[in-house]
Amino acid sequence: MATKKLYENFSKSLMDEVQKWGGMKQTGVSLRYMLDFGSVPSDRNLIIAAQFLHKELPIRIARRAIELDSLPYGLSQKPAVLKVRDWYLDSFRDLRSFPEIKDMSDERDFTQMIKLIKVRHNNVVPTMALGVKQLKKGLEDEGLDEIHQFLDRFYMSRIGIRMLIGQHVAVHDPNPPPNCIGYIHAKMSPMQVAKDASEDARSVCLREYGTAPDINIYGDPTFTFPYVPTHLHMMVFELVKNSLRAVQERYMDSDKVPPPIRIIVADGAEDVTIKVSDEGGGIARSGLPKIFTYLYSTANNPLYEQSNLGAVDMVTMAGYGYGLPISRLYARYFGGDLQIISMEGYGTDAYLHLSRLGDSQEPLP
Amino acid sequence: MAAKKLYDSFSKALIDEVHRWGAMKQTGVTLRYMMEFGSRFTHRNHILAAQFLHKELPIRIARRAIELESLPYGLSEKPAILKVRDWYLDSFRDLRSFPDIKDQNDEQEFTKMINLIKVRHNNVVPTMALGVQQLKKGLDPKLDYQDLDDIHQFLDRFYMSRIGIRMLIGQHVALHEPNPPPDRIGYIHAKMSPVEVARNASEDARCVCLREYGSAPDVNVYGDPNFTFPYVPTHLHLMVFELVKNSLRAVEERFMDSDKLAPPIRIIVADGLEDVTIKVSDEGGGIPRSGLPRIFTYLYSTAKNPLDEQSDLGTGDMATMAGYGYGLPISRLYARYFGGDLQIISMEGYGTDAYLHLSRLGDSQEPLP
Repeated sequence: MATKKLYENFSKSLMDEVQKWGGMKQTGVSLRYMLDFGSVPSDRNLIIAAQFLHKELPIRIARRAIELDSLPYGLSQKPAVLKVRDWYLDSFRDLRSFPEIKDMSDERDFTQMIKLIKVRHNNVVPTMALGVKQLKKGLEDEGLDEIHQFLDRFYMSRIGIRMLIGQHVAVHDPNPPPNCIGYIHAKMSPMQVAKDASEDARSVCLREYGTAPDINIYGDPTFTFPYVPTHLHMMVFELVKNSLRAVQERYMDSDKVPPPIRIIVADGAEDVTIKVSDEGGGIARSGLPKIFTYLYSTANNPLYEQSNLGAVDMVTMAGYGYGLPISRLYARYFGGDLQIISMEGYGTDAYLHLSRLGDSQEPLP
Repeated sequence: MAAKKLYDSFSKALIDEVHRWGAMKQTGVTLRYMMEFGSRFTHRNHILAAQFLHKELPIRIARRAIELESLPYGLSEKPAILKVRDWYLDSFRDLRSFPDIKDQNDEQEFTKMINLIKVRHNNVVPTMALGVQQLKKGLDPKLDYQDLDDIHQFLDRFYMSRIGIRMLIGQHVALHEPNPPPDRIGYIHAKMSPVEVARNASEDARCVCLREYGSAPDVNVYGDPNFTFPYVPTHLHLMVFELVKNSLRAVEERFMDSDKLAPPIRIIVADGLEDVTIKVSDEGGGIPRSGLPRIFTYLYSTAKNPLDEQSDLGTGDMATMAGYGYGLPISRLYARYFGGDLQIISMEGYGTDAYLHLSRLGDSQEPLP
C-alpha cells in the first residue's frame, strides 16, 4: 500500500536528490534530431544517447515527483496519486543508482532498465484518473482549472519521457522495417495511417452497434513525411471513433442512410492537416470546452479494483474518456495541434495539425 | 485642424464632465430586450427610450474619449486620432447640452440630434486606420507587431463600443419609421431567414468577384430556407459578405491559370438550440497556421486606405469600409456583439473554413468594454 509519508519508504538523502534534480534545467529534442541521430545507430551514438538519457530522465522524473507531492485540494494524499508518486520515486532511484555508462555492455543494461521503467509506468493515466475522481466531489471551477492545467503538464511530460525511452529501445532493433528509425517512420503516409485507424474505429463501431457509417478519405496517397505512426493512429482513431458514435446515435432509429464521415488529408509547406468531419448533430457551443477536460469522464474506469492490467496500451485507455485531451497533447508534442469546431444541429469538424518540418522542440512543462 | 491640446478647443468644465461621465457605469441591453421594447410602439415608450439614451450615450462616448487621450506609443498625438477624439468630444457636448426630454417634441428633436451624431462618426474606422498607419511609419521596423497587442486590444474595445453606440442610435431612429416592413422592429427582423441573407450576401460578393476577375466560382448554400430567428439582417449580411468575398478571392487566385473548374464555395446553415451556425468553406489553398493570427489584426492591413488624403467620404457605411482590410476583425466584433463568435480554421494546401456562430436566444447582453 502506498504510504502517505514520503520518508517512510524513501531515505532523506534520496528526497534531497529528488529536489536537486527536479530543479535542474530540462533539455528537449526535436523529431528531426531524433530522426537524424537515430539513423546512425553506431555503438558510439548509442552510448552517447544513453548517457544523455541517464542525465535527462531523472531531471524530468524528479520534476513530476515534486509536483505530485504538492497538488492542491488534497489530491496528493489520494491513494491512487500516492501510488503514482511511488512509481516516479522508484524510477528516479533506479536511474540515479545506475553507474556511469562507459561501454556497450553498460549501454545494453541501461536500455534494459529504462525499458522496465516504462513498463512500470504503463497504467499511470487510469491510476491518476482514479485519484482525480476521488477528489471531484465539492470542487469549484477555479480548483478544477488548476488541476486541469497540472494534468496537461503531467501527461505532456509523460509523453516526452515515454517517447525518449521508447525511441532509444526501438533503435536497438537489428531488423527494422524500411524507413523506420525507432518509433519514427521517415516516409509515413498520413493517408495510409488514416485508412488503418478508420478501419479500426469502424470495427469498434460495428461491434458496439451492429452497423457503422462509411468513411471517405480524400488526399494524395503518395504523399509522405516523417512522423510517429502510432501517435497519428491513436489520434485519428479517437476522432473517427467519436464521429462514428455521433452519427450512429443520430441515425440509429432513422430510415435515412447515415451520411459518411469525411476525412481530408492536406499537405502544406508548414503543416499536414487532417480534418475529420461528421454530420452527427454537433455539440452546443456551451458544451464544447468540456470535451477537452479530464474531469468530466463518464466512461467506466477499468482500474476500480486496482487490478493489474499488464501491458495496457494508450489506445485502450483513450477509450475511457481521456481520448480527446490526450490526443491533443500528442498533437502538440511535435509542434502540432488539435482543434474541434462544432455546428450545433449539424455536425462536428476536428482539425489535426501536424508540423511538417519536425523542427519543433518537445514542450517541456 | 485638430488641436493637440484638449484645452485649446474644449473648456475645462467640459473636460471635467467627460472624466466624470467616463467613469460612470455603462448599462447594456440584449437583442431580445430591444425587440420587445421596440415592438410596443407608444409615445411613452419612445420618451423613455430617449431618456435612457440621453443618459447612456454620454457615458459610453466619454469613456472612449478618455481612452483616445491615453493611447500608448504616441498614438494619441497622431492627427487622425485627434480628429476622432474631437468628434467624440463634440458629440459628448451635444448630448450634455441637450435639455431634459419631457414630451414628444423634445423626443423628436433628440432623435434628430443623435442621428446627426451617428453621421458625424461615419468615417471613424478608416480615420482610425489612418492614425494607426501614421503610427506604423514612425515605429522601429524591428518591433514585432505581436508586441503591439495593447493597441490591438484597444481597437477591439473601441470598435466594439462603436458597434453598440451605433446600434442603440440606429435602432431608436429606425423605430420612428411610420411604415416598417412586416416583422421589422427597427434594425431587427423578428423572422430573419439566415439562408436567405446568406444567399443575398453571396450574390453581392460574387458580383464584386466578377467585376474584379471576370469570373466567379459558384456558391452553394445548404440549409432549411424556412428556418427563421430574430437578428439584425444588415449585421449578418456584412459578415457573410466578408467571408464569402475572401473565399471567392482565394479560390479565384488559386484556379485562375488552371484548366480545372474552380470548386464551389459551400455554405452550410445549421440551426441548433443555442446557436445558429453558418459555415463558409472554400478550397482556395488555405493559410499556414503561422499566418492565421494575423488575419484578425488591424495592424497588417495592406489594403489601400480611402482616406489617405484626408478626403471627405460622406456617408461611408460599414460594408464599404470593411473592404479595406478591417473586414475580418470587425466581422468578429459584430458576431460577438450579440453573443456569437467567428472562428477561422485553415488547412494549408487545401482551403479554409469560417464558422459564424450566432446566438439564437437573443439573451446575451451587449459587451461593454
